[in-house]
Amino acid sequence: MTPGPRRSRRMERLADTLSRWGFMAPAFLILAAVLAYPILYTLEISFSELDLGTFMPSEWVGWDNYETVLEDERFWHSMKVTGIYLAFAMPLQMVLGFAIAFLVNADWRGRGVIRALFLIPMVIAPVVAGGLWRMLLDPLWGISNWFLGLVGIGPLDWFGDSTLAMATIVLIDTWRWTPFVTLIATAGLLSLPRDVFEAAEIDGANWWVMLRHVTLPLLVPIMAAAFVVRWLGAVKMFDIVLASTLGGPGRATNVINLFIYQEAFRGLKFAESAAMSVVVLVITMALTAVFLRGSRLLEQRY
Amino acid sequence: MSDNHQNPTAISRRALVAGLAAAPFAAQAAAPADGGGLGTAEAPISIRMAANDAFAKLWQTVLVPEFNKSFPNIKVTIDGQTYSEQLTKSLLDLTGATPTYDVICTDDPWTPQLAQTGALLDLKKDAAAWTDPGFDWADFNPAPLAASEWKGVQYGVPLRSNMLLMFYNRTHYKKAGLPEPTPKLTWAEFMAQAPKLVQDVKGEGKVNAWAIDTYFARDQLTPTIWQAILNAHGGKLLDDKGKAAFNTPVGVATLQIFVDLLKYAPPGAKAHVFNEELQAFRQGQLAAMFMWGSVFRGTAIDPATTTLKPDEVGVQVMPAGSAGPGTHRGIWSGVISKKTPHPRAAWALLQWMSSKEGERFASSQVGSFPARRSTLSNKPKDDWQIPVFATLQQSYDVAQKGQMWRPRLAKSDAVQQVLADEVARATSGEISPADALKNAAARIDKLRL
Repeated sequence: MTPGPRRSRRMERLADTLSRWGFMAPAFLILAAVLAYPILYTLEISFSELDLGTFMPSEWVGWDNYETVLEDERFWHSMKVTGIYLAFAMPLQMVLGFAIAFLVNADWRGRGVIRALFLIPMVIAPVVAGGLWRMLLDPLWGISNWFLGLVGIGPLDWFGDSTLAMATIVLIDTWRWTPFVTLIATAGLLSLPRDVFEAAEIDGANWWVMLRHVTLPLLVPIMAAAFVVRWLGAVKMFDIVLASTLGGPGRATNVINLFIYQEAFRGLKFAESAAMSVVVLVITMALTAVFLRGSRLLEQRY
Repeated sequence: MSDNHQNPTAISRRALVAGLAAAPFAAQAAAPADGGGLGTAEAPISIRMAANDAFAKLWQTVLVPEFNKSFPNIKVTIDGQTYSEQLTKSLLDLTGATPTYDVICTDDPWTPQLAQTGALLDLKKDAAAWTDPGFDWADFNPAPLAASEWKGVQYGVPLRSNMLLMFYNRTHYKKAGLPEPTPKLTWAEFMAQAPKLVQDVKGEGKVNAWAIDTYFARDQLTPTIWQAILNAHGGKLLDDKGKAAFNTPVGVATLQIFVDLLKYAPPGAKAHVFNEELQAFRQGQLAAMFMWGSVFRGTAIDPATTTLKPDEVGVQVMPAGSAGPGTHRGIWSGVISKKTPHPRAAWALLQWMSSKEGERFASSQVGSFPARRSTLSNKPKDDWQIPVFATLQQSYDVAQKGQMWRPRLAKSDAVQQVLADEVARATSGEISPADALKNAAARIDKLRL
């Protein structure tokens, strides 16, 4: 083999590698700027004292901020509030989302319109959604209490009662995000292989048997994926609470992200808030890993 | 005590990078000795102001054209910002190498936090050479002017003054057979009258009007209502050393008064803030509300925003405690960035807005409340302003006497957030007023003010 073609092939490979990296470089740079830098900066602040005069970390304090956060009863209370919200909102949205998807997927007139209408809550800004529900549920002017009054219920203090306020947050969030789950579930249902259903039908399976033994097992990977995606959205809950209850009454709906925001931007405790963010990030990543592992196991099982 | 732990001789890596990046612009950014002048027809000057979005647009469309009649070569752009982001954005902008804003409109408790950055112009020293000889500093009421003063330095001037006042509905008081409130009304009298003010004013056979509404939700402004009651009873938030001074029998008793107000408030009031109480009053569902005075025009005069008639609405200072009537100061002031290349033009804008002429124009055209004694004592343009201006003057005097404002500290917002948390826990019934104040005092003392 002559050196000429070998050099030429080497040049080709180099050019290929360079062009690949050249195309990827802008994306890497943007990702580094908008994702890696804020995370690293947050990490740096979480181990420092922040000088408010310059907004620069001024002194390395080691694990002090983390110790302060982990000893703060208010931090754990907000984590508990977030846990309560997730424990109710996630299952409710998953069950409702898939149930609605089954109904929407059935062959009936007008389902296209219903599908389109279902998307509306998703495109409304969360702050607008919070404000909208605040008006609808207001005990003085809201239409919901008027309707409930017709059947002898209420008036209910949706945002003033601690238990009801959390239920209201779950309700608003469910209204907003169930369509998203429905959308994923509908796509999953439409992608299921028809021949399996035809075979089951020939074998005499009824509607329930097909749902229990064919549709649901085939949908498990979709459900797991929808759960993980929704989970990652739900742990960020902030704007709806900010727009509707401000974390109250008392601290009944003070979810962790609102707590961190208030500690940082109101309390000006940026270093401790950064430590809180890192703790929440680690817990979220650990739980997400557990869910992903679980979804993989479910996929293998079905 | 300062919490600045930075070694003054050390330069951080980021500061160094920021400094190097800014170096090419340094000459351009530095203000010339003449303050950058006032512009000419050939070379006009552009300045930018950050203000609250509640009034930024109105200022841009109404005040700026009037200002340009006197200063045609200064182009002013006013950007609106949401309240919750304003302090942080202002801090970041002032500490940046090349700030976007020449002028910042700052809320009452923020001046110390902004001044701590060392990035604000000392108006009486740095801007003295460009001050109009006719600009009358002594004419300002001390209370609103003090909002933008810190550690003996005057950093700003009042642009939009506000005070917490008691609005009342004369029709409701008459229907309940109660005398109209006067500035002598005490908290004890008000609480005794409150049950009668929860009534059926429409003849529907059910309660459709309530005695009172105000900020009750978990909001930073909610504690200001309790603070007005506390101050009226001679109590104060912090002592001279920056330690909590409210965890006293007077503090607990006054927080109990605030919590008890909820008994006579409309359903859902625990979640109410500015908008809800304002709408309830304007729709004739309240006998009284504790609210910022600047809403008077939209509450009593403008039929597009209220169902009430002008003669139905009364306004006065908040009820009195053992030390006298209560109120709370809320002044928007204008401050200037030290890094602006056009400090003279920026100061010209602030001087005009806070001048006798500017105040008169603003109070009649955009409904802003004036801070000057002369504006308040002279006959205003509209008749409805006469009793309002008299109340405003009284509230300035009351605030000055009782020091009725939020803490003048670099960590003022942190104190306010602690109070918001704990007062909300008391109003929700989660803990008692005594426990709320105990918690708040412990948390505030940890802030090392």
